This record gives sequence, structure tokens and C-alpha cells, in this order.
Amino acid sequence: MTVEVCGMAGDGTIAAGGLINEAMSLGGFSVLGFDSYPAEIRGFGRCVTRSRIGSEEIVALADRTQVLISLDDEQSISRVPFLVDNGGVIFDNNPSGYREETKSLAAKLEPGISLFGMPLGDLATGASGTVRGRNLTALGAFTAIFGVPPDLFRKAISDKFTSKGKAVLEANLKSFNAGLRYAEEKFKDRATPVFDVRNKLGSGKRVMLSGNQAIAKAALDAGLKLYFGYPITPATPIMEYLAKQLPQRGGRVMQMEDEISSIGAVLGSYYAGARAMTATSGPGFALMTELITHGVMAEIPAVILNAQRGGPSTGLPTKTEQSDLHAAVFGGPGDSGRIVIAPTNVEECYAMTVKSFQLAEKYQTPVIVLTDFYLDNRVENLASPAASSEEKADWNMYPHDSTRGKYWRYASTESGISPRALPGTEGFIYTATGLEHTERGTPDYSPENHMMMSAKRYRKIMGALADLPSPVEFSSGRELEVGVIGWGSTFGSVLEAVNTAAERGLRVGALKITSIFPFHADVIRSFMNRCGHVLIPELNYSGQLANLIGHLHNKDVIRLNMVTGVPFSPSTILFEIENLVGAGT
Amino acid sequence: MNPEHCVIIGNGPAANEAALTLRGESRDLRITVIGQEPVRHYKAYLLPEYVSGKLAEDDLYVNPPADHRERDIKLRLGQKVETVSFDTREIILDHKEVVRFDSLIVAVGGIPRIPERLQVFSDLFLALKTLADARIWKQKLKDAETILMVGGDLTSLSFTKALLAMGKRVIFMINEDSFWPLRFDDEIRSQVTERLTAKGVEVLNRRTIKGLAGISENEVEIETDAEKLSVNAVGAFFGLVPNVKFLARSGLHIDRGILVDDYLRTRFAGVYAAGDCAQVYHPELRDYWVSIGYKNAWNLGKIAALNLIGGKIRAQAVAQSIFRVGGIAVNTSWWTEF
Amino acid sequence: MTCKNLVTNEQPSTEKRAGGVVYSADPADFAYARVNIPCQEACPAYTDIPAYIRCAYERRYGRSYEINRSVNLFPGVLGRICSRPCESKCRHGERELGDPVGICHIKRAASDFKGPGRIHGETIASSPGKTVCVIGAGPAGLAAAHDLSTIGFDVTVLEAFDEPGGMLRYGIPEFRLPRNVLKQEIDTILRFGVKLRTGIRVGTDVAMEELLFRFDAVLVAAGCYVSRKLDVPGENLPGVSSGLAFVVDANARRAPVIGDDVLVIGAGFSAFDCARSALRLGARNVSLCIRATEEDLRVTEDEIFETKREGITIRSLVVSRRILGNGKVEGVEFLRTGPGDRLPNGRRHITPIEGSEFVIPADSVIVAIGQGAEPIPSPGETDRRGVLTADPGTFRTSVRQLYAAGDFMTGPTTVIESIAAGRRAAEQIARDLTGKRFREWAIRIEEARLTDRERSWDFIPRVEMPAVLPVQDRLHPPDRQVEIGFSDEEAFEEAKRCYLCYLHYEIDIDRCIYCRYCIDVAPRDCIKLVQEVVTDEQGAITGFVETNEWGRVSAVAIDNSRCIRCGACVRVCPMDCISVSKVQKVERLLHPWGDT
Repeated sequence: MTVEVCGMAGDGTIAAGGLINEAMSLGGFSVLGFDSYPAEIRGFGRCVTRSRIGSEEIVALADRTQVLISLDDEQSISRVPFLVDNGGVIFDNNPSGYREETKSLAAKLEPGISLFGMPLGDLATGASGTVRGRNLTALGAFTAIFGVPPDLFRKAISDKFTSKGKAVLEANLKSFNAGLRYAEEKFKDRATPVFDVRNKLGSGKRVMLSGNQAIAKAALDAGLKLYFGYPITPATPIMEYLAKQLPQRGGRVMQMEDEISSIGAVLGSYYAGARAMTATSGPGFALMTELITHGVMAEIPAVILNAQRGGPSTGLPTKTEQSDLHAAVFGGPGDSGRIVIAPTNVEECYAMTVKSFQLAEKYQTPVIVLTDFYLDNRVENLASPAASSEEKADWNMYPHDSTRGKYWRYASTESGISPRALPGTEGFIYTATGLEHTERGTPDYSPENHMMMSAKRYRKIMGALADLPSPVEFSSGRELEVGVIGWGSTFGSVLEAVNTAAERGLRVGALKITSIFPFHADVIRSFMNRCGHVLIPELNYSGQLANLIGHLHNKDVIRLNMVTGVPFSPSTILFEIENLVGAGT
Repeated sequence: MNPEHCVIIGNGPAANEAALTLRGESRDLRITVIGQEPVRHYKAYLLPEYVSGKLAEDDLYVNPPADHRERDIKLRLGQKVETVSFDTREIILDHKEVVRFDSLIVAVGGIPRIPERLQVFSDLFLALKTLADARIWKQKLKDAETILMVGGDLTSLSFTKALLAMGKRVIFMINEDSFWPLRFDDEIRSQVTERLTAKGVEVLNRRTIKGLAGISENEVEIETDAEKLSVNAVGAFFGLVPNVKFLARSGLHIDRGILVDDYLRTRFAGVYAAGDCAQVYHPELRDYWVSIGYKNAWNLGKIAALNLIGGKIRAQAVAQSIFRVGGIAVNTSWWTEF
Repeated sequence: MTCKNLVTNEQPSTEKRAGGVVYSADPADFAYARVNIPCQEACPAYTDIPAYIRCAYERRYGRSYEINRSVNLFPGVLGRICSRPCESKCRHGERELGDPVGICHIKRAASDFKGPGRIHGETIASSPGKTVCVIGAGPAGLAAAHDLSTIGFDVTVLEAFDEPGGMLRYGIPEFRLPRNVLKQEIDTILRFGVKLRTGIRVGTDVAMEELLFRFDAVLVAAGCYVSRKLDVPGENLPGVSSGLAFVVDANARRAPVIGDDVLVIGAGFSAFDCARSALRLGARNVSLCIRATEEDLRVTEDEIFETKREGITIRSLVVSRRILGNGKVEGVEFLRTGPGDRLPNGRRHITPIEGSEFVIPADSVIVAIGQGAEPIPSPGETDRRGVLTADPGTFRTSVRQLYAAGDFMTGPTTVIESIAAGRRAAEQIARDLTGKRFREWAIRIEEARLTDRERSWDFIPRVEMPAVLPVQDRLHPPDRQVEIGFSDEEAFEEAKRCYLCYLHYEIDIDRCIYCRYCIDVAPRDCIKLVQEVVTDEQGAITGFVETNEWGRVSAVAIDNSRCIRCGACVRVCPMDCISVSKVQKVERLLHPWGDT
């Protein structure tokens, strides 16, 4: 079921949504939550929180909502088209003023919707002395109406508000209880859907994390030493999190004057041997590209997180998009192949961020981790992630002692990886430069050298395929009518669509690609060849992944491109799948 | 150019038929039906059979769910009208919404009546007017064996039939006050007593209830001037009283129901009342009457709608046949069936 | 403290007193009180309702009683039988706010709990050496007698019946108003030196001219004791009585004869008293026959409910045409009626429906359709019925020392109106006889604080008045008081419900920073962004021109007419710029020794 809370900025909408996520997570359910905020800082604008809750793993947001909790009726009108036919709406039936029919929420609802009107503001004021607690009163009502054990919410409220002092906590609990009691009494004779709380996922500590929180936590756990960055939506929370946590572990966060100096500082740190990273979004990433290629040329590790958003240029800062793939893979002067990986959910955000440091070290290259606004800001509950010592280990290939004094930093090897000494190591001095250079590191522009070094660097990057996660297939069999390839946060919607199609008896499959570059061409090709049609949905206009891998297929791949700024809904993809199934070759 | 807005308050047979009739005659009129119960229109007279299990909930509904939508009739369920302001032509809903109307049909029906004398015990009485009531009865009858029926209106007789079919023991306390606007004279009383007794019902006549006490969830004690009884549930069937308290001091002429003329018009232009909530002077009876029964309400709803858009149909006092117990007509079907 | 005029920011015509209390005579302030303390405004006697309810909450029942008594000489009586014009105007009874406060019930509680032997504070003036005769010891007459005697006049009251009280004693049955309550309040009035002579009928036992000779002023407050007739055939049949005669006999314990099937024709308090008394005298079936609908009844809802609960039927939309019977009454023929529009006097015009004749059998018929004043032989101009006429503003008749007040002058009204009229007449007489004014009304303004009232109290449901149950117990004994009265706890709970509309909240626009926190927490549309405040020629606020455009906002204003005095705005204001004051309409003694 999907529960939405909709209100005006200042109504406590986001807090309420957060409590729903926490409470249901405590109850053992799988939770995926995504909020939308107003662009302005204070006072005006609509806030909507969406929480999808299930007893099986939730991988995507649903199209439709089962329950709408309205803290501001006029704003909530915009959410009505998303309600299912037999959904429920909780709203304040004693607002401070009268409302015309044209501006009334109740007037817009279809007859099948169950209305749960209660005097939310009055109850909150009566219970806690202030009307501000009415978001909690509404949660109390939600609890009563849908049969959720109230203690889940009480614990979530305690966890959240204990740090704000006893008075605040008690006031909030009172508001919650007032809503609970009132709804229990008033709606006891209503035939309401009871949320089935018996089917829970297994135990095992589950925490709620957003994509950004997972990335930041991963970086900490992986032993990040230094963070350099410049604030930009949607990557800023990573820097904020690290600014609090990193110094406590002996690291440093420094806000640089721009993204160029940020990447410069990261390269400088890693050059000197300390794990460093930066996080940015499309416009900032574009500024970094020259120095990224410097990292490619000088074979210096770096971890760069690109949290994609609507583009091009400043674009749509609070909207989600997947349109930096080209920039990540190809951006910057020259043939500057580097590693690009893209997690598809919060758990992978963690795992891949940890991995990115190792990959950067071993392959002596910038590693770009692509996420997007939706993935960065959505919360999921997952087992508390942790990195093992192997996962955190230093993957730098140090030179053998025997090469002391005759150390060639960029020696061409079979793998393309040249052992890397850290600067200041006696007997292992070298020059690192963004100019083309010899194996020793000295600048050289001769034709044979450039051919050789280009080949070496490419050989090295392609070798990363061995350490990069292979595409994963989810399918109902060998021969498939339709195969859907997804990357980034879109994959969740792809998976749900494919699962639904399979339940309906269609022979379909999904392929998850997390290694964008280098990509596992053979695996992808072999999947494609088993498909009647290959569909690649992407949140970008030109079909950037399709452009990258489409040639692997023996006919045209079907592109499904949306740049609406909102995540793919599974039903959109499902619709395409079903069309293709009927369409023949 | 905004189309005229006709609002119908109520979602029973009168309201439903009025809405469908209006739409049938006019394509442009904006029609909104506002019903207090959160369910689609259903046949309330079938509730006894729903309680007994003979019918399922789906059998009660009249129109398929998409019907109103297809006819472009806005159906608002589970919403209550708090008051109507006739000089500004506004309806105020109890969640503080203001709905403007150009024409209005009030078809709110009646609510179960509890005589003032017994109102202090109303917590212990169970009525059977709505689907919600029926659900409560269904739950109660899982454990209840002996039911005391107090009153004697139309529903009580068909409900008694249903209870007997479920194998329950029924005690029936006839209260002459229950049949307004019918007159419950001695002839009807003895006929009713005879038929009930023949079916195995214990009939108590001319009792004054002195007290009721709830002993437990499943036990109620009743003291009358003649005996003390212990039963599992008490049903209140004193007939219906028009549900028009919300229109008090609105300017409409209200007696027991909304006073209308033969054409179902109230004193305000474009405002009609139909069904169990409307009260009309009946020259043959030399009294005011309020219709009872599904079919009558259905009929009056239709007439009100047709008159609203320009018709001139008199509301026939079809109910007169109810007053003659001997005369068999469709409106006395409950009687002949029983 | 300089008190700015609440409305126009100018210096008002006020007096400043020590302690920051101001008394204002500014018409704008009176207009404010009219709108903002609706209960007091609705009370004909201008009882300071919020003040006495607050005292009851503080369990200062004696003080609460006194506040009542200062304008209403019979709080214990009115606390039981008043028509409660205040409750229909109570702000708590506004549409979305719930039920009005049980103002009357709390008054009774104050009377019940004030404690025996309570000391009454009264201001007594020394005698100006004048004498006044009051004809009639009903509520108007006794109220006038009390006020005149405290001013110092030598007052004699002449009463035709054997006991004082008028309709209170003879019109209202004991089960609504116990005799001892009435007696105690009458005795308290008489204690201030009023001489009461009962059993004396002016015009028969003593002539008006003689009274005019012996006294400096004569006030006729003789009430209305002539029953109106139906003027239908059969009205004189045995078994038909007037409502007045019936209740007077019943209340004088002369047990009038009553049959089994009683029809009471009439729709006022009298008719209801007759119906319920008839039941207690043994009638089996009692019906009240009214010409219009129940909605049009002017008795209180409690009264209607209890009447029905006792088993009395109300037959509406019927008008009597003939009373039938051979040698004694056997039934009444009625016509059905159709309701029409409301007339200016508040009653509903009804149209009999031709051809709708029907008969209701009865063996007793009581006609309680109203009363009129009985003419008293006297000098002075009279109306066409021969009843003395008087000026409604000054109570003066055409004869210099002769005055008339109360129902005698206006026709039947309510008890509280009569009391208010009697007091006003006393003031007028005192002024005419001495040239001085003794009392005046003023608006008292004082700085105040937020009270301990909590918002949750606004959701307390109205406390029901406990009544004797089961209904059968009410008939034995038949004079048993039906309404039991609030307990101390119940009175406390109900008193909490009063918003205390004498509080006034005002935003100081010089200090307001327009943060609108107050609007966020307001429970209804009581705080507004206004472009302009609309005032009338006297300076009273009559409306606000609101705006949503920031550029046009000139102030954040509290609309006190919508305010429910919850105090949320005061608590949340970060600038602490919302002031609280207490604004009360009070009556003050003007004479030098009469200090408040």
C-alpha cells in the first residue's frame, strides 16, 4: 500500500512521512519512501511524502495511492487523481475557515473513496495546547483506521523527539494518542480495510536510509580521509553528513570554492595516498571533466559521485533524470576511458561506494558513481549495512622493492596496471603529468608512444571488468519475448514491471546493468540475442545507455525515454512490454 | 456559462430516482447527490434478509458503481449536510464546505424514532435503518438467542420474519405509538397480534416500559408494569421520524417533516422535498401525511424531479391504501406477505 | 496607564480610576459590548453573565449570586424558569462551535450553593423623604419596590392576591419553581423596609385617587390577569377553563377538576404549565394543540423535551373552531392549518385549510392562549380596552405621579423583561421625584491576563440538567421539582465552557511584525489580514476589509466578534504584542456614596 501525506510547507508533512516510514520499518515491513519539497525555503509550497509499504521487498514507487493524509486540503487536491478507487482520505473536517466547493478536497473525491474526517486541529490543540501537533493526530487516526499497532508509531515518535526534550515528546505523544482514540471511537463501525500486519519480513535489524545517507556512510566505513566539495542539489546532504561525522574519525571536510578545485583536491589527496572523494551533480560534474581526464592520463585514483538531476545546464535542480551517462563515460578531452558505475537501490549505493575506492586504487583511475535525485533522496529500509575488512582493504598495487631506483611509474604491463608508489617513497620518485608521457613519466609526444600508452590505459580499464559486477538477469526462462534493460534507479521500476508481466504469463526478463563503463558486452549481447525485443527505458531524452550498448543487438533496441522529472512508474514500462508482446517481430 | 446546479440531499430511493430522472430529462444540468452514509444506494427494506444471511451485501445495491459516473451525476458519499442557507442558496457541509445550488431536492428520509419517554435508554435499543445498523445486528446475532422487539412498524414485522427464519426466539411488545402517520387501531392491533402469535412470537400488548438495564454485552433486562424480562438484544421499531432537524431555523416550514404542497414544492422557489422527509396535507385524510415505504419514496423522488424541471405532476396520496388493511395494494405488500 | 480607546485610538470620554480601571461612556465602546458580549446584550436586564459564570467556576457561588442579583432580583427563580434569551445568542452555540453554555443552569447552581445566611451587600441611601406605592407584587412590582427602597424611598406594595409573587407564585407550577426558593428571594427584597399589604385590590378596596393623594408616586405593575378568549362556540361549556384560572387554582392548591382526556389550547409557557399540571392532577391523556409548528414554539427546548417525556402529545398545525358537547364538553372541532410567513411580532401567520374539519374527543379543555391587563378604575388616558397607557421609554402615564410598567403596560412578556422594566421604572420615578439620576450603565475596562482556561475545555459537551426519572416518579408527589439542579461538579464543568467573552484581545500594530504565527494557530477565521477597518459614525468597528495581497495589508487584526478567547494567539506571539483586557458593561451607582 502507498500512503501519502500532503500539506503546505510548515505543516509537519515531511516529519509525518518520516514517522510512517520509521514505524512501518519497525513493524518489519519493507518500506520505500520518497518526498517532494517546495522549491522555496519557507512558508509556501506543497510538500508530499509518499511511502510504499509491503510485506515483500519493495523496489519501486507505485502509480496509485491507497491512503492520503491531507494536512492542507487545497494542496491535497492535486493528489486526488492518484488515489485508487477504493482508497481512503484522512482530513481535517473542522478547518479554521469555510471552503468553496471548487476549492474543497471532499468535493473532488470519487464516491468509492472512504472519507475519514476528524477535527485534527482541534484534537491537537485540545491534547497538547498547540495546533502544530495535528500531523501527529492524523498519524494516530491512520493507526486506528488501518489497524497498525500503535506502539510502532509511539516508538518512532520517541526515537525522533527524545532529543528535543521531554515537553516536546510528551506533547507529540498526546497529539498522536488523541487522534488514535478519536478515530477508534468514531470509525469503529466503518467497514475499513485492515492492513495485514501478520505477514512481516524476517527479523534482522532494519534501518531507514536514503541513497545519500548510504553513500556517505559507505564512504566513512571505507575509510574516507578527505572530502572536498561544493554544495549542489541533490548531492549536498552527503557533504553535510560527512562534515559532522568525518572529523570525529580523524578526517576532514573542506568546502572548496568550486567544483574544479574540488576535483583537484581529491586528485591531490589520492595522489598522496589518502582516500578522498567528491560529490556533485551535472553542472558541477561538467566543470570537473578536464581534471578527471587529468586523473585518467596521470593514472591517479579518485572517487566522484555524480548525483544526476534534470538538465541540461542548471536544468531542473529538484527533479530526477539519468542524463549524465554520456558525460560520465565520455566527458572531457581525449579518449579518457574511466570506470563508471551506477547503483540501482540504496543497498547498492552503499556497497558500490565502498567498492569504488578499491576500484579507483587498483585501476588507478577516477571512478564515477552515478546516482540520481530520486535514488539520493528516497529512503528504503535495509539491513544495517557494514563493510568487511576485505571490502575496505587497500587495493593499491605497490611496486616491488626490486624496482627501487629503477622505478618506471607508467610501465606497460599485460594488465595495463603499473604498480604505483606513493610520493615521498625513497627510491620511487616519479613525475605525474597530464601531458602524454613515457613509461617513466616524462612528457613525450611521439606517435608510437601515444599509441602505446593509449592502448595500455584502455587495456587497464577493460581489465576492470573482472572486478566489476556483471549484469544480473531476472527472467522467467531462456527465450524471452521481451527483455528490458535498466540502469540506475529506473531498474527498480523495470523489475516490478517485469515481475508483473511474468505473473500474467508473459515470457519476459530484466537485465540489471550496474557497470556502465566498461560494460560486459558478451553478457549483454547474449541476453539480447535471446529476446524478441529489447526495451531500454531511461530517464533521458536521447537514450544514453541505448546509445552505448544498442549496437550489441542484431536489430534496433526499443527506446523508452521520459524526461518528466519523476521516476518511471512500473505501469508505464509494463504497458510498453505488453504492446511489444503483441507486436510480433 | 456555468450550467445550473441541482443538489439532491439524500441517497435513498427518492434521491436516487430523482437524480436519474433529472439526468434523463436534462443533459446540461449539473447534478450532485450528497449522501450521509458512505455506501452507494441500497434497498433498505431488504436489510432484514441481509441480516439473516439470505442476501449478500452486493444483492442490496441498486446501481452498479460506475453508473452515476457514466451519467455524469456527481455522487458524494459519507458527507453530511450541516445546514442550508436559503437566502444565499448555499449548502454548508459539516466539514465546512460551502456548495452553491440553483435548485434543491431534499430527500433525506427518516431516522428511527425513539419516543421521548424512552430516550434515556437509547443506548440499549438497536434500530435497523441503515447498512451500518445491519452489520451491528449481524454481529450481535452471532450470540443472541432471544430478541425483544418493541414497537410495531413495517420493518419490525419483516425483521421478525427474518429472525424467526434464523431460529431466534422473538418477544414482540406492540406499542401503539409506532405507526405514525398510520393509526394503529384495535382492528390492526388484533390482526397483528394474531398473525405474530401464529408464527410463534410471544406478543405483549399495552405495556408501559418502566426501565431497561444492560447487564452485560449480551444481556438486557426490561421491566414493564406487568413483568420483568431478560433478553439478549432489544430492537427499537417505533417507525421513522423525518430527519429534518438540520433544517431547523433555516426558514423552511418544518412540522414533523418538510411542509410541501401537492407538487412537492416548499416555500422557496426551486426547492423541493420528496420521500419520507416530506409532509403534505392530504384532503381525503384531512390530515398531513408523510409517505412511508420504498416504492412511495421512489415515486415521490421522480415527481419532484419532473416538477423541478417544469412538470406539473401532483403527488398522489398513494399511501391512502395503507390505511385500509382489508384493501390489498402494492403498498401493503409487507402486510400481505407477512 | 492611559487607556487608548479600543476602537479609534483617540482619548475617550472616560474616567480614570486607581488601579488601571477605566469607565467609559463612549458609544463606540457600548457598541463593542453589544456585539462582543452577546449573552449580556440579549438579557433584558443586562446580566453580567461572563462574570458570574467565572465566579461559579471559582466556586464563589455567593459572589456569583450577587452579580446576578444586582440586576435580576430573583436569581434562584430565574435560574429555573427563565426563557433564556441569552443562550440562543451565546457564542459557544454558533454553528460550528457546539452547544450554548448552560447559562441558566449555572445561575441556579449559584443560587443553590451560595450557602445559607449569605450576607448580601446592598447600598442603602438615606431617605429623600418621598413615598411610593407599587400596585402588584409580581416580578416588575417587586423589582421596582426593591430598587426604590434601596435608594431610600418609603415603599408600600399592594397585592390583590393573598401571597406576593404574581405569576411567579400563581402562574408557575411548583414542580418548576419550589415555593421556598421564591419565598426566600421575596423576603430578601422585602427586608429593606418595603411594606407589603396583601389581599388589597385597587379599584375595589382602595381607590386610585386616594393613592395618588397619599403617595408621591404610584406605579401600576399589576400584570395581565385577564384571559383571552377563543371566541368560539361552546367556550362556556362546563369543563372548559381558562389557562390562567386553572393554574392559579392549581397553584393555590385549590385542585381544579380535571378529566381524563385533556386538550390544552395554546403554545406559550402558560399552556405548557397547564398541560404538565393537568397530568399531575390525574389526567390520563393530555395534548397541547398549537396553531403553528413545534419549531415556532417559544418555550425552551428543555421544556418541550420534558413535556414530551412526561407523555404529553403536541398536536401541531391545528386551530380550534368549535367546542362540542351536550351539557359538558365532549370534544373540540379543529381545522388543519398551513404555515405562512413570520409576522413582525415574531409569530407565524397561519392559514386554516378549508374542508379539513376533524374532532378530537376530550372531557376537559384548557384555553391558554394569552392574557391581557385588567383595567383599573383610575384617572389617565387609557387604550380602547380601558387599560391605562404609558410611555414605553419613561413609564409615565398622562397623570403626573402615575406610572405603569411590566406586563400591565406592554402585554405579556417574560419574567426577566418584567424585572428589567420594573427597575427602569424605579430609576425613572426616582429621577422624577428627586431630580437626580441614581444609576447608570458604563463600560468598565481593565487590563487583564490570560486566564487558566484551556482550549480543551471548549470541547466539553454541554452538561445536561439531571431530571427526576423515571417519569412516573415525578407525579408522586405532584409538586416535586422535576429538574434536580447541577451538582457542584457539574456546575464546575459547565462553567468551564464559557469563553468569557468579556475578554478583549488586541494586537498592537506598532509592534506587530506580521509573522502571522497568530493566524497559523487561530482556531477559526478570527485573525485577519486587513486592508481597512470599517467603522461607523460613532467609531465602532463594523467590519474588516480583508486582503490576500501583501502589498495591501495594513494590519493583522483580531476580529473580536469571531474570537472565542482561546488565547492561542497571545501565547504564540513572539513580540508579545497582543494585549488582553476585560471589558464589561456594568451598572454603577452615581450618588456620591454609591461607589463601586
